[in-house]
Amino acid sequence: MLRKLLIVVGIALLAVLPVQAQDAPMLVISLANDPTSLFPPRGADITAGNAASPLYDTLVTYDVDGNIVPELAESWEISEDGTVYTFVLRQGVTFHNGETFNADAVIATWETGSDDSNDYAQDYQVATSVEAVDEYTVQITTDGPKPLFMNQLTGWGIVPPAYIREVGIDAFEQAPVGAGPFRFVERIAGDRIVYEAFEDYWQEGLPLVGGVTFRIIPEPTTRLAAIQTGEIDIANRLSIDEAALLEGSDAVTLVSYPNDRVYYVAFKNIGNGEGSPLLDERVRQALNYAVNRQGIIDGIFGGGASLVDSFIISTNLGHNPEIQPYAYDPERASALLAEAGFADGFAISMGCPTDAYLSINEVCLAVQRDLGAIGIDLTVEFKTSNSFWSEAEYGAVGPMYVDSWSSGTGEALGRLEGALVPGNYYNTWHDDTITDLINQISVTVDRDERAALYSEIQTYMHENPPFIYLYAPQIFEATSASIEGYAPRANEGYDLTNVSKAG
Amino acid sequence: MSAYIFRRIFQSLLLILGVLVLVFFMVRLTGDPVALMVSREATNEQREAMRVALGLDRPLIVQFGDYMGGVLTGNLGQSLSLGLPNATLIGQRLPATFELALTSLIVALALSIPLGVLGGMHPGSPVDWLGRTVGLAGQTIHSVWLSMILILIFAVQLRWLPSFGRDGWESLILPTIALSLGSIGQLVRLARSTVLEVRRENFVRTAHAKGMSGQRVAFSHIAPNVAIPLISVIGIGFTYSLGGSVYIESVFSWPGLGSLLSNAIGDSDFPLVQSITIFIALFAITINLVTDILYGVFDPRIRQR
Repeated sequence: MLRKLLIVVGIALLAVLPVQAQDAPMLVISLANDPTSLFPPRGADITAGNAASPLYDTLVTYDVDGNIVPELAESWEISEDGTVYTFVLRQGVTFHNGETFNADAVIATWETGSDDSNDYAQDYQVATSVEAVDEYTVQITTDGPKPLFMNQLTGWGIVPPAYIREVGIDAFEQAPVGAGPFRFVERIAGDRIVYEAFEDYWQEGLPLVGGVTFRIIPEPTTRLAAIQTGEIDIANRLSIDEAALLEGSDAVTLVSYPNDRVYYVAFKNIGNGEGSPLLDERVRQALNYAVNRQGIIDGIFGGGASLVDSFIISTNLGHNPEIQPYAYDPERASALLAEAGFADGFAISMGCPTDAYLSINEVCLAVQRDLGAIGIDLTVEFKTSNSFWSEAEYGAVGPMYVDSWSSGTGEALGRLEGALVPGNYYNTWHDDTITDLINQISVTVDRDERAALYSEIQTYMHENPPFIYLYAPQIFEATSASIEGYAPRANEGYDLTNVSKAG
Repeated sequence: MSAYIFRRIFQSLLLILGVLVLVFFMVRLTGDPVALMVSREATNEQREAMRVALGLDRPLIVQFGDYMGGVLTGNLGQSLSLGLPNATLIGQRLPATFELALTSLIVALALSIPLGVLGGMHPGSPVDWLGRTVGLAGQTIHSVWLSMILILIFAVQLRWLPSFGRDGWESLILPTIALSLGSIGQLVRLARSTVLEVRRENFVRTAHAKGMSGQRVAFSHIAPNVAIPLISVIGIGFTYSLGGSVYIESVFSWPGLGSLLSNAIGDSDFPLVQSITIFIALFAITINLVTDILYGVFDPRIRQR
């Protein structure tokens, strides 16, 4: 072992960092950590997804507004029962290694993606078969109707069939090949990932830059310094405080956009929540009236967040704008508590994931203060995020806890199922009406019918709140003034195909 | 002499065993890696399958035996989050860390030894004042704070140096300053106090008394006696640099072992955290052992204790 290491050290000390000559300028983007994998079924988290997406094209993709649009599929049809999808594929597309894109590539993508060794195999296993009708038509059958299947397909980075079958997944991960606008050049662990523009990309004249370099910069203050000096072109996921430091800088353009992530205080009616005052819906309404959410948004986030009225945010499918967020009304809260028989309040504890989210400790303390004002003696249990999420059904905390849940699909289904369907790992609230509605949504393929169901669950969850709804944050992103054509997205994905850079 | 060496080796082995046990049980206090590896919507079955695949469903004592067996046969296992053998990952990152640690050590020695020795030879002089100031600053300024200030001044304001990364010698300057300042502080004070102490020894007074020139006393009587404690300090300085690199590398995005370790802790990547910690501990223990033995070789007084 040691000898091997010494040899590696020796070689690496001799090596000189390779410098690449490029005609068109390179785009440099920071990543907060080293991506787990550049093979999408093994790296579907946001950082890995951001890093891998320039390599791959997908059958369908999102446009800037989050609508699903064709990419490698030209058109598609969905069967009446919503389980069979037939895609007509684009012709004349080649992979970086010269292979031709066809139906077999979709089959190989599904086969390798479904492999049990992949962390995100479930995104592929949702399809039970993928068959070629002819060379450029493919038929995908799902395990029952899956309304979000098209969204899942936006993550299926299509891979070259001969290459991946020959080398296997482990070797593919180290030298990934796709049909996307950029091709893999090198990856230096913990330091950088380098791509160059793919000259035979099927969209003529694109991409506009010579290549992309992702630099791994874990420290936020260093990312801020690097965007100011022009060493990087895009710095994403900045807090409002960090963004404020960049205001007034000529070299940097600052953009903010709403993030599809709901922050809330959850209640438990199972485990240590059994028999608690929270079982009375008047108590839960009272808690919603008692917290000064606008105060939290203004005081802690400098206005960089918006109120939420339920688990469905204003940009989600089926959101009913007539439902208003709970007002800050401590008197009404006290009245409701008295009506429920808790005029003198009660004592309860609330878990807080201390290192998981921006300013979350301050938010927990603000909730404690506001609930204290209506006589509730709230103990805040600060936990590191690892121990907070380690136990099923939040066994380590409660009967209340602060949390957040994001969605990348434009619909609230993922977080609804995860948080509210009994039996799921992070479910702590059982309500049959909610469960029934979610189960209906999860098999309704028709978009309009689904939207109506979302409105219904939104109304119900507003009146029978399983949570104190807190806020949905804004995300800040800084880009250097020299780049053009870049638009941030609510799902935090990158599309770099149309981005250009001066100089 | 050989009894001394054997005793030191035996003590080192005990220490290594202690580190292995401590590291194994401590990383398991940090949480469940599966919770961070799968998507949040993953079902209980998927979570359980992952736990079984990683061997985390087995009793802790079985996992410990497995781990000890692996360490003894030189197999450090595989990283949970990056899916590569830990030995490969450590090998990839080691050159960057050594480059930074060695450069910092050289800079620290080159600055602190002359300052400390001159200060000790001429207490109260301007050189001594400078040395003591640098020593105090080095021991009190926090390296992470210093790193950020260096980035703000030399990268953001003056644009002289890169703010992060490992791109040739320019990018080595700021992390080297940040990492070496602490060692400089320690070394200056140690060199100065050692010189002061040796100068008060009887043999030095005797040398002066028999009419030897000041310069000859300094080179043939004081220097060899000052050099001995400094050998061990150099060893300590190097391991200190390795430890400090955990913070400094993260701030400067330096792709070394330190930033790999802080990432691995964040991901609850048990096998990787264990491997890196063991590697650094083994390294530190070995360096200490070697310096202790050298100490004994150079100073017969030590062997007899």
